[in-house]
Amino acid sequence: MKNKITNGLNQNKIVLSFVLLCINLLQAQKHNTIRGNVYHSGNPIKQAVITLEPSGKTIFTDFNGFFSFSELPNGNYTISVTNMGYKNYIQQIVLNGNHNKSLHIDLEAGIDLNEVSVNSKTSTKNNPETLIKAQYSAMPVIIIDRKTIELMGSRRLDEILKEQTGIAVVNNISGGARSVGVQMQGFGSEYIMVLIDGQPMMGRNNGNFDLSRISVSNIERIEIIKGASSSLYGSEALGGTINIITRHGVIDPQLQASLSYGSLNIVDATLEGETPFSNNKGTANIAANYYRTDGFNTNSKYIQGTTSPPYDNYSLQGRSRYQLNENSYLNFSGRYGLRRSFMQKDFGLGHISGDNQDEQDLNLSLSFDHKFKSNLKSISRYYLTHYTADMSVAWQESNNSVSQDVFKQTLHRLEQQFSFSHNNTYQLVGGIGGSIENMNDDALTGVNSLQTFFSYLQGEWTPIQKLKAVGGLRYDHTNNFGGRLNPSFGLQYFITPKITFKAGIGTGFKAPDFKTNYLVFYNSSSNYLVIGNAVLAPTLQQLQDDGQISEIRQYVLNQTAGNLQAEKSTSYNAGIILEPSKKFKAEGNIFYHKITNQINSIQVATGANNRIIYTYQNLPKAVNKGFEIGLKLSPIKNLEISAGYQYLIAQDLSVKDSIRAGKWPYSQNIHDPATGNSYKPRPKDYWGIENRSRHMANTAIFYRYEPWKMSASVRVNFRGKYPFGDRNGNQFIDKYDLFVKEYWLTNASIEKRLLKDHLSIRFTADNIFNYTDPLMPGQPGRILLGGLSYRFFKDL
Amino acid sequence: MKTKRTIQKSCCLIPLLATVLLTSCSSNEEDNSATLVDGKSTVITDLAGDTGASMGGNTDGKEQRGFHTFLFRFSDKKQIWLHTKADSLQYMKTTDWDIAFTGPYNSEVYVNNSKYQYNPGFEGPAQNTAVVLLNEDYRNVTQAPADADFNTSEITKIGWASSASSAGWFYYSLSSHIMQSIPNRTYAIRLPNGKFAKLQLVNAYKGNPPAVTDLNWPAPYFTFRYYVQNDGTKNLNTK
Repeated sequence: MKNKITNGLNQNKIVLSFVLLCINLLQAQKHNTIRGNVYHSGNPIKQAVITLEPSGKTIFTDFNGFFSFSELPNGNYTISVTNMGYKNYIQQIVLNGNHNKSLHIDLEAGIDLNEVSVNSKTSTKNNPETLIKAQYSAMPVIIIDRKTIELMGSRRLDEILKEQTGIAVVNNISGGARSVGVQMQGFGSEYIMVLIDGQPMMGRNNGNFDLSRISVSNIERIEIIKGASSSLYGSEALGGTINIITRHGVIDPQLQASLSYGSLNIVDATLEGETPFSNNKGTANIAANYYRTDGFNTNSKYIQGTTSPPYDNYSLQGRSRYQLNENSYLNFSGRYGLRRSFMQKDFGLGHISGDNQDEQDLNLSLSFDHKFKSNLKSISRYYLTHYTADMSVAWQESNNSVSQDVFKQTLHRLEQQFSFSHNNTYQLVGGIGGSIENMNDDALTGVNSLQTFFSYLQGEWTPIQKLKAVGGLRYDHTNNFGGRLNPSFGLQYFITPKITFKAGIGTGFKAPDFKTNYLVFYNSSSNYLVIGNAVLAPTLQQLQDDGQISEIRQYVLNQTAGNLQAEKSTSYNAGIILEPSKKFKAEGNIFYHKITNQINSIQVATGANNRIIYTYQNLPKAVNKGFEIGLKLSPIKNLEISAGYQYLIAQDLSVKDSIRAGKWPYSQNIHDPATGNSYKPRPKDYWGIENRSRHMANTAIFYRYEPWKMSASVRVNFRGKYPFGDRNGNQFIDKYDLFVKEYWLTNASIEKRLLKDHLSIRFTADNIFNYTDPLMPGQPGRILLGGLSYRFFKDL
Repeated sequence: MKTKRTIQKSCCLIPLLATVLLTSCSSNEEDNSATLVDGKSTVITDLAGDTGASMGGNTDGKEQRGFHTFLFRFSDKKQIWLHTKADSLQYMKTTDWDIAFTGPYNSEVYVNNSKYQYNPGFEGPAQNTAVVLLNEDYRNVTQAPADADFNTSEITKIGWASSASSAGWFYYSLSSHIMQSIPNRTYAIRLPNGKFAKLQLVNAYKGNPPAVTDLNWPAPYFTFRYYVQNDGTKNLNTK
């Protein structure tokens, strides 16, 4: 009922906003013109793509390399010039009054990879709400821009990410049917921080953040950092970060409506509007998205119903920026998401499970930025996020509950940032802040709130022309855990104009969360009890006094109780970028991540009635190591071919130690089921951690044929075999255990623009060869979708 | 002219896509239960255990009680439930059954025997029975062990293999909460009637799935196979 009211309100707001927007469409004042010519070594370049942001207008240069945008209102613009075989050119332009800007643009030969290397200055539009930039990271950064997202025709964030090199989206079976997360360079979802406009998002199921919650419709750009990044973002950024930058800052009013429909009754509907207001002092963007799917079943042999949940998802997102005076701006952004899902599974013989989940999340941010001097800026910001999930699983025939939980999480965060730059030699960003996090869970005991204080300094430095350095230092202090300092350092050396060497080191940590410290959870269907580490000793004592304990493993208790350490990681990477010609670019990178103190469960006692009681402990060490190769090729104009490969070894070194030490159950003989022979296990029989593939690869072809205003893409993604689980009871993965077979997925999309770019028609086909596997409950078969989108804007 | 060419291009794409779409593929699924059939052994699939009970409290719907034990007779595949005290009195101390499924999820298996106090056949007539664990594939067990091995065997309960010395038939993962039968564990049994048999317990999940992909997969539904040598010899060859 409550949700219904909220929805109604949202709808009213949307309608109102769009009405205002339409009025603005008619009112906007335009006086300025930006025009110019594009050259390379003095020769004009025809058919180069000129994009003017934030208006989103795209035009092409004529035979003389000439282009022109007219009737532009006042404001800050970014003009970008892209042409195959040349490096992107980006320039900021401020228009006020009746300007007639004429530009002379000289393009440099080369190719721009999506991959931004250590502290490279490929300047994408910066998020105005933070001064921290991904380019300060010593770890490799991948940027996926809006154009790529549109060309892929994907709807949800997980679909975009799983096509990137070294990234997979995996189901966590032990977390239930809804525990799905992203894996990156071998790091599980629990170690990857997800941010929206630089602020952390919440709402995880068994540590997994389900990215399908997020629609890509309003995303401007996705920044992915692979490797430990706590020096930038603090706790949780142990293995990497995914930062979603939403659309912002428009000068031309426009309105866009799009609708897609296809397989699984998928509906993806978006209404999005952008407009300036108050004589261009302010800009606003608002977007509403509705998405639904029937879900799908990859295991119809055993289960009727769906293995991946059907759901309805509503989201509303808005962002506004207002100029208070010449040097000060006020920013507001908000996002509300609601997902309702009910999944039914029929296992036969009347065993029908009903799995219900209602999820809501809210993100609100308010910030004030001020420019004291051209090289000294400040941002003050406040962020609030709230997430609730109401989950239950029940056997329908008997209305018999299997599990039920209501989970609420709230975070308030206040932060002050400063940035200072000096003559292009160095840039520094410093900040200080604090946050309060509250978690409400039926299963939590004895917890109030988590308070964190942090302060940091980041920067980049160019001591000589051939060398660039980035570095950062961040201190985080948590009330129930203590303090931790995280440094990072990266170097980029331009050996020749065609060869660049880069290397970086960074650290990460993840403070023990509420669950591992305070959760007391009893699973009645499997008869086990989990006791959070901080409340272990008193809870066990209580149980013993009640006569509910049959045995306590005193050694484990003494080792673990109240002694849970933060998980830590250190990431190293080094690589080379080669650009032998303007049509070819290759990049290679080796990485080594060391994770210590990983938190895992361990049995600490046995209860009466054979109940297993366990708690959490730190495991000694795990390692993810491997390398990545990226290639980008542009043999002819507007055709771009890219390929990526990742080789990964992810192992828990404590398993090898246990095999070496002959500890049961690791010490059991391994049987070859084919020959019936068995032999004593050796450390090298350990294959690696579950769900990690040795080999992952992808290749993509993007082609645009401008005279027909058509673009198309074909992408092929490969994932090598990976372990699903232990089959022979020795508690580690050996080659005779259960593996998910290697597979190829092929996706394609085609788009045509009509009516002077106002209308576009899109057809997408995901997983064309309809590959499914019962061991991959979350990977759907073939999905075909057709879509239309219409943009209202004033023609040039 | 321009639009015409566009249409032509689209037309070329459609048959291309169509051919691509007609070919579909999916990962091969093995039929697990079919591979158990060897022509000689008896294969029992999806024998329902006590699905109405729950392990602990706080579970609505399911009865808050222990799991009812059931007995099983190899010769005619008869399942005998011990629902009431009368049932227990009638069947427990008899040689009418060979093995019993007891405990949580009926996962703890006993061979009818009079000597061990938790065995449902305690103080009954089955005095000379015994079970020996052979760490070998069921197919490869062709001969029952020597009498001395049966006589000295200390195996009482076949349940969760929670330690190095346990002769249990399954392993329960604390991280995934899924029970997994251990391959290459075959139980040679000296039955109440003196005959020799071999037994493999294969699965406790409904349908004997090759992998449990859902935390709430229905259980217990037992899949197991056995072979009784009716001529009284130790020949257990089922190839």
